Amino acid sequence: MGTPNAVGDWSSEMEVNAFRRLFPLRYYERHLSESARYYCVPWSVCLAFCLSGAVASSDGSALAKIGSTTMLAAIKMEVMTPPVDSPEDGSIAVELHMHPICSPVVRPGRPAEVAPVISKQLFDSLLSSGMIDLKELSLIKGKAAWMVYLDIYCLDADGALFDAALLSAVAAFSPLHIPVVSLNDEGRMVMVSEELEGEKLDKEPELHLADPTFEEESIMETFMTVVLNLSGQLVSLYKPGGPVLAHTSAIQECVALTRQRTKELKEIIDEAISTMQID
Amino acid sequence: MEYVSPEGLRIDGRRPMEMRKLQAEIGVVAKADGSAVFEMGNTKVIAAVYGPREVQNRSQQLNDQALVRCEYSMANFSTGDRMRKPKGDRRSTEISLVIRQTMEACILTQLMPRSQIDIYVQVLQADGGTRSACINAATLALADAGIPMRDFVTSCSAGYLNSTPLLG
Repeated sequence: MGTPNAVGDWSSEMEVNAFRRLFPLRYYERHLSESARYYCVPWSVCLAFCLSGAVASSDGSALAKIGSTTMLAAIKMEVMTPPVDSPEDGSIAVELHMHPICSPVVRPGRPAEVAPVISKQLFDSLLSSGMIDLKELSLIKGKAAWMVYLDIYCLDADGALFDAALLSAVAAFSPLHIPVVSLNDEGRMVMVSEELEGEKLDKEPELHLADPTFEEESIMETFMTVVLNLSGQLVSLYKPGGPVLAHTSAIQECVALTRQRTKELKEIIDEAISTMQID
Repeated sequence: MEYVSPEGLRIDGRRPMEMRKLQAEIGVVAKADGSAVFEMGNTKVIAAVYGPREVQNRSQQLNDQALVRCEYSMANFSTGDRMRKPKGDRRSTEISLVIRQTMEACILTQLMPRSQIDIYVQVLQADGGTRSACINAATLALADAGIPMRDFVTSCSAGYLNSTPLLG
């Protein structure tokens, strides 16, 4: 290995992979300034894939993959007594599970910090978008209602966890069947009225990276997540602090990108549901 | 209830000594050193292997061989009724121990002293024989990770029902 030149730049002396591990920030800055991979043509690399009905023992399920990130969502429904202050509403419980299987940084005994954060984000997005009407989950007012348990298991964590989790949640809810209840002989099919698409964008000074991988996320300073529904209305905008502040123009750019992504994801989900086998 | 019909067929149409359809795939978890999905009929498990890597807990480090750790967990939706406590209950702890001891016996641990090999198994769908499916998946994941082993370890469960032996 040679000595660094006046600027301290080892890159010319060192093999590319070693440079990428030792100086990740400089690697990405050089790569991005030269190539068009991330910003101009974001989606051709970050392929999304969705499979409905992946888990036979659940009431609705989906496997979603964005790049390498894999999420398996499954819905189980149970009858419960509705709370006193909302006797006509059913309830939803969302939980993202990140076990050590998904990533080398998650260790047994030290649960991932990001899992409950994403669970809460998902819950808020799903409820506030109006995708699920809690009143439809009620069986007998004040006495019985459906409790929908949405469990999402992360099988491979390679960045953009919220996006993949949201994609799998939407795909799992879409063909959800509410089981027949023998007490009332009631059986209804819940159809999703609006589909949601989430989008995670990272910001560097003047550089936006859409759909980051785990390696990119670890060197990012700030990220922002935009959730739109199919009609292009804003459901959720999440920017949790960070040293970089967002200008209005940057936010508008991110929303425009999300809009574009929404169309692509809608096609993927529709295809997944139509190819799913119905028992 | 007749589990084996008078013609000698089980509920799902199998003969008593017939196994379910087997399917396996390796390299499914990109972040892991080795991984595999194993399906035996409706039972589906995914295994991921991380290692050999540095021991996290220095006090557990072994100077002459590798430390093998295993964790078995079931997804909430894997069984018919939703499970409340998929990890940490007695059954999961026992199965984790069984898998660990099995794989420890077949991995050539003396070749990797002062290191740690983690085997994580997750049951996605449980329809009987999860223990066996996990051991098979773990073997494939270890092979995918390139960890030296004495031989493949395979497993199948069997039992007796009204003096008829049944397989899988």
